[in-house]
Amino acid sequence: MKRFFSTVTLSGAVLVCLYPFIWMFFSSFKTNREIYQPTLLIPENFELDSYLSLFSDQYLPFMSYFLNSAFISILQAVLAVMVTAAAGFVFAKHSFRGKSLIFAIAILVILIPKQALVVPLFDWMLWLGLQGSSWSLILPGIASGLGIVFFTQVFKKVPNELLELAKVEGFSVHGTFFLLLPLAVPALVTYGLLHFILSWQEHLLPLLLLDDDHITLPIALAKLRDSSHRIPESVGMAAATLTLLPVVVLFGICFRKMKTALVHLALS
Amino acid sequence: MGLRRADKASVFWLLFPFFGLWLFFWLVPLFFGVDLALQNPGYSPEHRDSIERVNKDSVFHFNWLNPPTIEIEETESIKYVGLENFSRVLSDDKFYKALKNTSFYVFGSIMFILPLGFALSLALFQLSRMSRGFLVFCLLIPSLALPSVLSTLFYLFFHGRTGALNQYFVIPLGFAPVNWMMDPLFIMPSLIMQSVWRWTGLVTLFFLCGLEAIPRWQWEVVKLEGVGFWMRIRKIFLPNLWHLVLFAVVFLVVDGFASFSGAYNLLGGSGGIMDAGLLLVTYVYQVAFPGGSGRFDFPGAAAMSLLIVPITAFILFIILQTRHRWSLR
Repeated sequence: MKRFFSTVTLSGAVLVCLYPFIWMFFSSFKTNREIYQPTLLIPENFELDSYLSLFSDQYLPFMSYFLNSAFISILQAVLAVMVTAAAGFVFAKHSFRGKSLIFAIAILVILIPKQALVVPLFDWMLWLGLQGSSWSLILPGIASGLGIVFFTQVFKKVPNELLELAKVEGFSVHGTFFLLLPLAVPALVTYGLLHFILSWQEHLLPLLLLDDDHITLPIALAKLRDSSHRIPESVGMAAATLTLLPVVVLFGICFRKMKTALVHLALS
Repeated sequence: MGLRRADKASVFWLLFPFFGLWLFFWLVPLFFGVDLALQNPGYSPEHRDSIERVNKDSVFHFNWLNPPTIEIEETESIKYVGLENFSRVLSDDKFYKALKNTSFYVFGSIMFILPLGFALSLALFQLSRMSRGFLVFCLLIPSLALPSVLSTLFYLFFHGRTGALNQYFVIPLGFAPVNWMMDPLFIMPSLIMQSVWRWTGLVTLFFLCGLEAIPRWQWEVVKLEGVGFWMRIRKIFLPNLWHLVLFAVVFLVVDGFASFSGAYNLLGGSGGIMDAGLLLVTYVYQVAFPGGSGRFDFPGAAAMSLLIVPITAFILFIILQTRHRWSLR
């Protein structure tokens, strides 16, 4: 009985979560007139025009925007994982003077999000001459407070005996860190994905910091929608499908690892 | 652990990248922000000229999607006006409106997301491991999509009389169709609905992982003693899941106060009818890069974003104060 209720509730929730995206996928083949009837799911004819127009840069250079977005998000995620995992390891396993100060800093980074600093950041990037390039987005994104907190928790779970052993074997602190990394792969992947998705979705910072050649996908999508009087709605739907698909595939591949890491982290 | 000399160096090099980046891309902008907030909004005539030129260049209205790059030239006429910008912001009705809306948005979404995520994770926990993974992944998909995609879907799908929400739920239940995006009463609820739709899956995943991590003996005790539902929540779920609940709340508060994209796409950069959907970050953006009115008020915007900081810091402080309340008894 309990199982039956659970199944019904969950089917409802899954339907609510998935149906709009299924509708979005089918809408990328529809004509404008069909899209304006939201209760219609399957189009009469499957037209590939919208995808062709995106791949042939008819309205905007979509593929190059896609590559910009991928470059920024992947690089930011990889660097953030490296930087915050190293710092988190030190916080979890070593004590030194000023440790609590630096940890407080990490918390402060969480408290004051980049979005609140966007106007002075814009000024500062102008001054540095980075405004417009992808680096203006990548560099401020690396030092993530959430990552520090996450990796401190992760490395706290590593037994101290392992560290003692490494010390006896003559490993230095950073040697030990690199030794432990393979153990932490699920956690590294998990945080990497979380950081990737947050940076992939970021809208305000690229809107202000990037120039026309380095535009990312959220802005490209807003552009497609903004001039929707000229561009068929199906093009926006096709673009949305193309931005979602790689992320879903990526998460699907890594999902098992992610769950392992989260369960491990929740063990007290 | 005591550190050898060589180890001190290696600890330093492990911390250095984070600390350096923090210094350079967080602390410096913060100081820039404080400095900017103390300046006169019209401090440099040349600065203003270039902005006005840019404004005239854009054909009919300011281009929301590509704010033009403004070259700020160094001039000696920078004038500091003390705390004037702050008092100007504090006497601005729209700022309070935005603050009220944002708080409503954040608390509204948390109030729905946490119970919903908890209920869904409990339901998932009843099922076999295989179907659990698959279903929670399906629930996760809205949080993977770009907020602008969500908004586009939301707009076309839920908009107007013919929207699916009206067709499937509102009209069959016997109510008049709701114009979700145009009625000031319903703008905030639809923003909250979007946020609930977006984040519930992620919170469900967190809670599910927390449930799976609860040691088996605790379940055995519950089964033996036959404790009721509320007792179970107090004795097992809260102590075990409290950290996850806190993490979820902190994440949602930070994301909520910084949220921009959803409302921006839904309302086209404005606050919606009667500013009913005006969020803080949207307003900061409006003040810094106004559409048409030409008041590029960088100092005002900086003052405003600095005023947001103590508010979020205070809320998070309160939340973190409860950290030890439920942790393992």
